[in-house]
Formats: sequence, structure tokens, C-alpha cells
Amino acid sequence: MTKTAKGIETEGTVIECLRNATFKVELKNGHTVLAHISGKIRKNYIKILPYDRVLVELSPYDLTRGRIVYRYRA
Amino acid sequence: MNTTHSTSGTGDHAVAATRISATRISATRISATRISDTQWHAVEDDRVVGRGDASRRPDGRLFISVDAWHDAVFDRIADAMLTDLPTPLYTVVDETDHDSRSAWERAGFAAARREWGYLVPTDPQATGLGSLRPPSGVTIVPAGEAEEGPLRALDRVIRDEVEAAAGWRTMPAEVLPRPAGTTVIDPSKYAVARHFDQYVGLVRVAPLTRQPRIGLIAVRADSHRRGIARALLAHALGSLHRSGTASAWAEVSESNAAATALFESVGARRAAGTLELVRR
Repeated sequence: MTKTAKGIETEGTVIECLRNATFKVELKNGHTVLAHISGKIRKNYIKILPYDRVLVELSPYDLTRGRIVYRYRA
Repeated sequence: MNTTHSTSGTGDHAVAATRISATRISATRISATRISDTQWHAVEDDRVVGRGDASRRPDGRLFISVDAWHDAVFDRIADAMLTDLPTPLYTVVDETDHDSRSAWERAGFAAARREWGYLVPTDPQATGLGSLRPPSGVTIVPAGEAEEGPLRALDRVIRDEVEAAAGWRTMPAEVLPRPAGTTVIDPSKYAVARHFDQYVGLVRVAPLTRQPRIGLIAVRADSHRRGIARALLAHALGSLHRSGTASAWAEVSESNAAATALFESVGARRAAGTLELVRR
């Protein structure tokens, strides 16, 4: 057991930018989650657009929710 | 165990009370710890349930962020960071993210300024810039053709002028790390306006394939109100249009009336807003 373990992370593709600062992301397994962006991404002005490939950390409390923690280079 | 629900009457009330009680018990098991100079995390039952991060911008300001799934975790991490770090502290939230804004306001932060994100069309039919010519005596030197020495000198003059007036803190953030003292990182990304033999204005476009970003457009104070910024923008947007790019992105401080007017006059549309919050 480790206290530095990350949550469940998986790759996905942004399919829609929603109005309330959230994004619809299709995961590699075909599931779709609603994700917002991490504080570090916002702080660094990294822009998320449709078709971006991203790394999503899923909420341990609700697997239909997530947080975009990384945007892969196009 | 909170016993409120046992006296609250009907079932719905009892369930609500039990949920509130469970949240309170859970919050007491959360601990937040600084794990490095710039990182904090919150742990509940040996599981990491939230993270905090701090980083210093090139302008010296300290920005922090917190990622948590619940308010109780957010509050615990924010408390730890506020205890460990000196003020003033800054953070940014999306204009439409009311939950995040509320969380930061609970931690004592208040909105300091706002930036608009503009989607800027490049098609001359949309911008109305197709027939625009630079003012008399002014020529536009395309990106990659500007002389580096005069470009750096112009950039320094403009930065000093802005710092002496509105200040760079009121400008949309420039968050890229720079070599000490260097503000022009890649001269090939700048087009400049030349008035006879002097550079008087510049525009920097980051040629991102997904969506180019107009990172900076500025004119020397003694050359303001002559249409030079408009000519620079026309040149930049025209180049993007000819390369097949339909739109560009730009961030403009709400308080910068001249820049806001310039972008809106070419059909730019507000597509996002960012609030900068500060705790003094």
C-alpha cells in the first residue's frame, strides 16, 4: 500500500467542449466520461480542444467523472 | 453517530442527515501533507484523495492549484498550503466554474481580474481586414525576417512602457519559463511594423497546429492610435488564412479596452473567460 499511489488513469480523446468548463472524453475502452481540467493545466494555460488526446484521472467516487491531468502533443 | 436523523421525522430527512453526518466523519480522517517544495497531497484511509501544487510565474508571482473530488479535501489541502506559503497567493479558475470559485473564496481568495479568451477568425471576409493597408510610412516585416537586435530592443522598450503604465501583471499571463532576462525566446515568431528605419510594433503568433495563438501584439507608446496594431493583426491573420487556418486564439485582459476593441472589431468572439483570484 502506498500513499503516493495515483488514482485510476486512462487515455482518452476529447470529443466535445461543454460550456461549464467540462469536457466530454471518450476513453480507450469506449466509455465516455465528463472531465474537468486539473489545476496545473489551467494554471499553465494549456488549452484543451476537441480531438486532443488526453490522460484522464477517473474519480474513485464516480467512474463517469474525471479530471484531465495531461494533454499529449498533437 | 449523529442522531439528528432519528428525530427528524420522515425518511427523506433521515437519509439527508445521515449523508451529512457521513461527510463530516470522512472529513476528519483526511490529512494534508507537504511532500516537496511545491507539492501537497491529502490522504484518506491511506489513499491519496487530492493534490496541491505551487509554481512561480516569470513575473515572480506564486500561483497555486488544488485538485480534489470533494470540498472537504479541497479545504484541507488549501489550509495546509496557506499555512506553508507566504501571501500574496494567486490562482486561476474558469469563469463558468462556479464550484471552483466558491472553493477558493472559502479559502479567502477574491477575484482580482478577468481575461477573455477570444476566437479570432482569419478570413478577410469575416475580419473586414482584406483591403487594409498599413499607415503611411509603415511596412510590415513578416515573421522570420525581422532583424533580431532591433526586435529585442523594441520588445524591451515596449515591456518597460507597459511596466511603467498598466504593468505586466494586468496583461494575460506569460507562463513559459525563460532564460534569465530573455523575453524574446524565438525571434522567428515575430512580425514587426517598421516606420521608415525604426521598429515600432510587433505581433507574436505561436503557430500551434491545433489552433495558433496570438501571444502578444504591441506598439510603442509614441506610435499609438495610428492603426499600426490593426495592420499587424491584419498581417498575422492574413498569413494564417493563406496557410489554411480558419481561426486563432487570443487572451485579452478585460481592463484593456484598446485590445478588446481591436479584437472585437475584427469579429473575434468571446469563447472563454478566466478569473484570476488573489489572497493577500
